[in-house]
Amino acid sequence: MKPLIRIKNIWKSYGDKQILKEINLDIMPGQLICIVGASGCGKTTLLNLVGGFLKADQGQIDLQGQKINKPSSQCIMVFQEFDQLFAWKTVRKNVEFPLKKIRKNCSPKELRECVSHYLKLVKLSDYENYYPAQLSGGMKQRTALARALALTPKVLLMDEPFGSLDAQTKNELQESLLEIREKTQTTILFVTHDIREAMVLADRIVVLKSGRIMEIIDNQSKDRSLENKITSLLSP
Amino acid sequence: MRIREFFLKPYSKLVWILLMMLAWELVAKFAPVSALAFPSLQQIFKALFDSIKNGELVYQMLFSLTLILEGLFIGVVLAFIMSFLSVVSKVFESFTDTCVSIFHPLPGIALLPLIILWIGTGTSAILFVIVHSVLWPMILNMNAGFKSIPDVYRKIGDNYEFSRFQSMIRIFIPAALTYLLAGLKISWARGWRAVISAEMIFGASGSIGGIGWYIFNRRVFMDTAGVYAGILVIIAVGILVEDFIFGKIEKNTIKKWGLS
Repeated sequence: MKPLIRIKNIWKSYGDKQILKEINLDIMPGQLICIVGASGCGKTTLLNLVGGFLKADQGQIDLQGQKINKPSSQCIMVFQEFDQLFAWKTVRKNVEFPLKKIRKNCSPKELRECVSHYLKLVKLSDYENYYPAQLSGGMKQRTALARALALTPKVLLMDEPFGSLDAQTKNELQESLLEIREKTQTTILFVTHDIREAMVLADRIVVLKSGRIMEIIDNQSKDRSLENKITSLLSP
Repeated sequence: MRIREFFLKPYSKLVWILLMMLAWELVAKFAPVSALAFPSLQQIFKALFDSIKNGELVYQMLFSLTLILEGLFIGVVLAFIMSFLSVVSKVFESFTDTCVSIFHPLPGIALLPLIILWIGTGTSAILFVIVHSVLWPMILNMNAGFKSIPDVYRKIGDNYEFSRFQSMIRIFIPAALTYLLAGLKISWARGWRAVISAEMIFGASGSIGGIGWYIFNRRVFMDTAGVYAGILVIIAVGILVEDFIFGKIEKNTIKKWGLS
């Protein structure tokens, strides 16, 4: 099987500071890959490069064999910030907004059904007429997830989306994400600094330290003993 | 406590206005002031109703309002163009910043001698003064609004493959609406002042002249009650626009969305 995303020898610096060094990674369709590492290790930079928001100094990232050189609706990003939702649109309108742009040929009925389907998937059907200011942090992130999924992107890029949530909400959303992944088979690249979160979610865990991939760990078995291994890899 | 609560209700403005009118009437009736400088409310309202009845005040007010709406429209469109170009080009942003630094502190009245030289004393001259009053505060607020937009919105616009113009219309403008409304309120107030001042100085522009010309004319004929009647109408329009038009817009947008 060919990789959906191929990251080939990526180097990236900001001024004199080298952020990413010699990054090579293949992501297979349907996989959920978690990138773990300490703050400032280059996780978000790598995600922004895959999303086309940044340009690499060296190397190339391909999506289905095509070089990524600008953002597109094929790689949709879900951010950590709660204010990623449009405050002036209800939950339903937030999800509908990009669909109207990307799926121009859909009838209003099809759009409505599509939005309802994804709102049901993230368990927000009862809140479709709420404005973001009326939602909890977890609900906002669920809405952002529905908005991203509704576009059926080839890859979902998630930048610590549950990082600002309390432990219980975080667990609920992790479960929801796994259920959604099971149903939609979306390929997900998920950035987190939380090793346990990576262990719960990922098929493979990419351990990033000081801009370099230390190891790519297979996590299909969800073996708890891997936690110590990742911790020791990340320790100074 | 009850009095405090009473004055915190939405109708408190009306109560204050009634109290001020009462104080005015007491001064006019009992204080040793000239009736010419300080006419009673009865005289003022009589002058007001007479002017409304013969249509003079209504037409002149409509004339001023039409002018200010035209000026506001032109000013807002120009401000939008300059702010949009500032968003897409850093070079243009520097040009806009320089223009705002130069022209924003410059009162329109100070430009009047030049305006008379350039375009005479007609309606276009008044329009020029209004646009000058509206444009710079509007640009300041628009630019501040666009700068306050979270970076995540720009990324989302790119992610959904919006062009810069589409992002501007569909994301940046609603996201910056709090600032845009504040800019519009300031611009309206400045434009309103500018139109009245300019009408007083330029005289009757168009066939009838505006509310500024109405007040100026009353003063010439020593009709002080008429002057106050004109001022009352200006105040009434100000309150109407501030509380009802802007108030309604805010209630149905930024307040409803939890942005203020």
